[in-house]
Amino acid sequence: MRSKTIGALVALVACALAIGACGGGSDSGSSSAESSGPATGTITIWARDAQKVFMGKLVDAYNKSHKAQAKLSIIPSAQFVQKFGTAAASGTAPDVASIDLVFLPYFASQGALDDITDLANGLPYNDSLSPAHKKLATYQGKTYALPFTAEASVLYYNKGLFKKAGLNPNKPPTTYAEILADAKKLRALGKDTYGFAFAGACGGCNVFEFTPHVWASGGDVLSADGSKATLDTPEVTDALQFYRDMYTAGVMPPGVKTDGGSLQVPTFSSGKVGMTPLGAFAVSTFKDAKIDFGVTPLPGKDGSSSSFAGGDEIAIPTGSKNKAGAQEFIKWATDEAAQTVLAKEGIVPVRTDLIDKVYAPQDPRYKILGDMMAKGKTPYSVVENAIFNDNNGPWIKMINQAVFTGNIKDAQSSGQQAAQSLIDQAQ
Amino acid sequence: MTSQLPAGGATQGATGATVTPPVARRARPPQRRRLTLRGRRQAIGALMAAPAVAMITVFFLVPLGLTFYMSLNQWSLLGAHTWIGFDNYTRAFSDANFRDAFVFTLEYTAVVTPVLFLIGLGLALLVRRPRRGARVFQSVYFMPVVIGFAASSFLWLYMGQPGLGPLFDVFRRLGLTNPDTNWFADRQSALFYVVLSVAWKFVGMQMLLLLAGLQSIPVEVEEAARIDGAGRWQSFRYITLPLLRPTLALVLVFSVAGSLLAFDQFFIMTNGGPNNSTITAVYQIYRVSFVQFQLGYGAALSVLLMIVLAAVSALQLLLLRNSDHD
Repeated sequence: MRSKTIGALVALVACALAIGACGGGSDSGSSSAESSGPATGTITIWARDAQKVFMGKLVDAYNKSHKAQAKLSIIPSAQFVQKFGTAAASGTAPDVASIDLVFLPYFASQGALDDITDLANGLPYNDSLSPAHKKLATYQGKTYALPFTAEASVLYYNKGLFKKAGLNPNKPPTTYAEILADAKKLRALGKDTYGFAFAGACGGCNVFEFTPHVWASGGDVLSADGSKATLDTPEVTDALQFYRDMYTAGVMPPGVKTDGGSLQVPTFSSGKVGMTPLGAFAVSTFKDAKIDFGVTPLPGKDGSSSSFAGGDEIAIPTGSKNKAGAQEFIKWATDEAAQTVLAKEGIVPVRTDLIDKVYAPQDPRYKILGDMMAKGKTPYSVVENAIFNDNNGPWIKMINQAVFTGNIKDAQSSGQQAAQSLIDQAQ
Repeated sequence: MTSQLPAGGATQGATGATVTPPVARRARPPQRRRLTLRGRRQAIGALMAAPAVAMITVFFLVPLGLTFYMSLNQWSLLGAHTWIGFDNYTRAFSDANFRDAFVFTLEYTAVVTPVLFLIGLGLALLVRRPRRGARVFQSVYFMPVVIGFAASSFLWLYMGQPGLGPLFDVFRRLGLTNPDTNWFADRQSALFYVVLSVAWKFVGMQMLLLLAGLQSIPVEVEEAARIDGAGRWQSFRYITLPLLRPTLALVLVFSVAGSLLAFDQFFIMTNGGPNNSTITAVYQIYRVSFVQFQLGYGAALSVLLMIVLAAVSALQLLLLRNSDHD
């Protein structure tokens, strides 16, 4: 009995030591993976700490129904890019990585990810996958990742405060002018009640929450191929003027000016702010805080609406040792069973054909988030991080300067110049 | 070797007879013995130092060499790198962003060093004598030191937040600040607030070091001075301070080096704002390396910062050591 246990242990250790051999056995030529039956061995997966809960459930579900076993490693969000980069460079990359979609053009351009064009084209539901995700996963005509989880940006509003201010909680604002008018009425409720909050020193927050205004008005912040910055266009001016007007009207709390992203959610859940733009991730926080809130699409200047299509894609790093397992896992991750597991955790599915089936019925607000994700956009650039997500980058510097000092023209021209020089440097 | 030893012993017996050759011979054997003894000592010494040398090699010299090598390449976080010689360094000297960050770092160091030192010295003098409660106050002042720096930065970030933070609220209620102001939105007030939080965090450490220095000064010296008619200030100025010099050197070098490497406090509390005016040198290196993914250029900036840091520390030690002899 004892020796049996030891034998099993030895086998396990041997297997673990030779993951390549154990998993790679069925993998002779990754294109033939499908014909050689189910994948085996261990599949190492990297995800970020923000995904910990749902990734754990997803991996459990996979392991229950598959021969190959997935093993999840959680990496701190702030270190993910550098850890993944280091691992990819030193040949210790995982078999599967869940990556924030904005980084995909960079990773693909550096040859860190496997080309999975054939796998993606072979999916029966390929056409109903989120178009924004698909665009970000494409580099020079080839596909390097599959859509995995989705996010959408919408305007959250506090229904309780709306009622108090004499506004109709079922008729949220649909233009810049309406948002401003409603914000003023909310501000009139009292000394500590404000109309609108955003994170004025957070680049990533504003590419998610501010660009939809520009898109909905027919403008953009980058050219379609990412080769030109368009921060000095009139649609950007209008959106900046809109925020500037709200700031000068005094409807924003003073903290917004320096919020690097950590205050926006607590400010809204304190119940003292009427409106704030955020993503699906905030729903559960506000439910827990017992806030009576609604969500509505982020409008353009005179109507229409748009959203940032955010979220993650799932890819196979070039250094992956168990390619057959990795391919099986990423295919399964976009399948109905996996997307249902995610939807139950409040994650927007990346399958437009599944939103009404597994996600929207749970909550009327999810319906809006799901619809907005499907029509959402994402800026495409290999230097997205440096232009937009950097809290000291040109994007947030432009917004901060324009909104809080009012010098919109100067802010735009210096922002445009700095963004364009980052793009040019990378080429 | 063994054949020569008896020969040496034999000549010793003949010392009285002949003079010149034995001297030369006599000197040899003890020298040999000493050599082997010294050799053994050296071997043991080398053996005992080996782990430290290995550690320094693996964790300091090799990374240092690698950093320097990287700094001579155009090195993206991912993908291939190409040799570009000293281009990264020439770029650094004309990089306005890095220059601004460096100037700000010097400014911060110039502000925070005397603040930390004076408060630290003041506290050390206060808790120096074994009065009642001195121990309690030592512990109280030292307590913030054991908190993680990032944690304390987040704590202060929250406390000073307009509309949310308790510290801000206290100031507002006391009428000391306008409810519409935001301490982090102005460069001067943001810097002041960060310095305040850093003082709270690190003053305890300086106090402890200075206290150790103060307590190593013999009481007799000060008593003698007092008997000679020295006042409090005179005895502090001419007795305590000079005798405290080695400790002062230590404390100042620590403090200046730490301030030149400042990162966490600004990264967390000000995000480098307002308007990128509080970005330190290390912050800028972080941005270049991990936001813009230019590891090679980041390495070059790191090497430059290291040279400055080494120079400043050496200068400080030199100044404080030389004045010891006057």
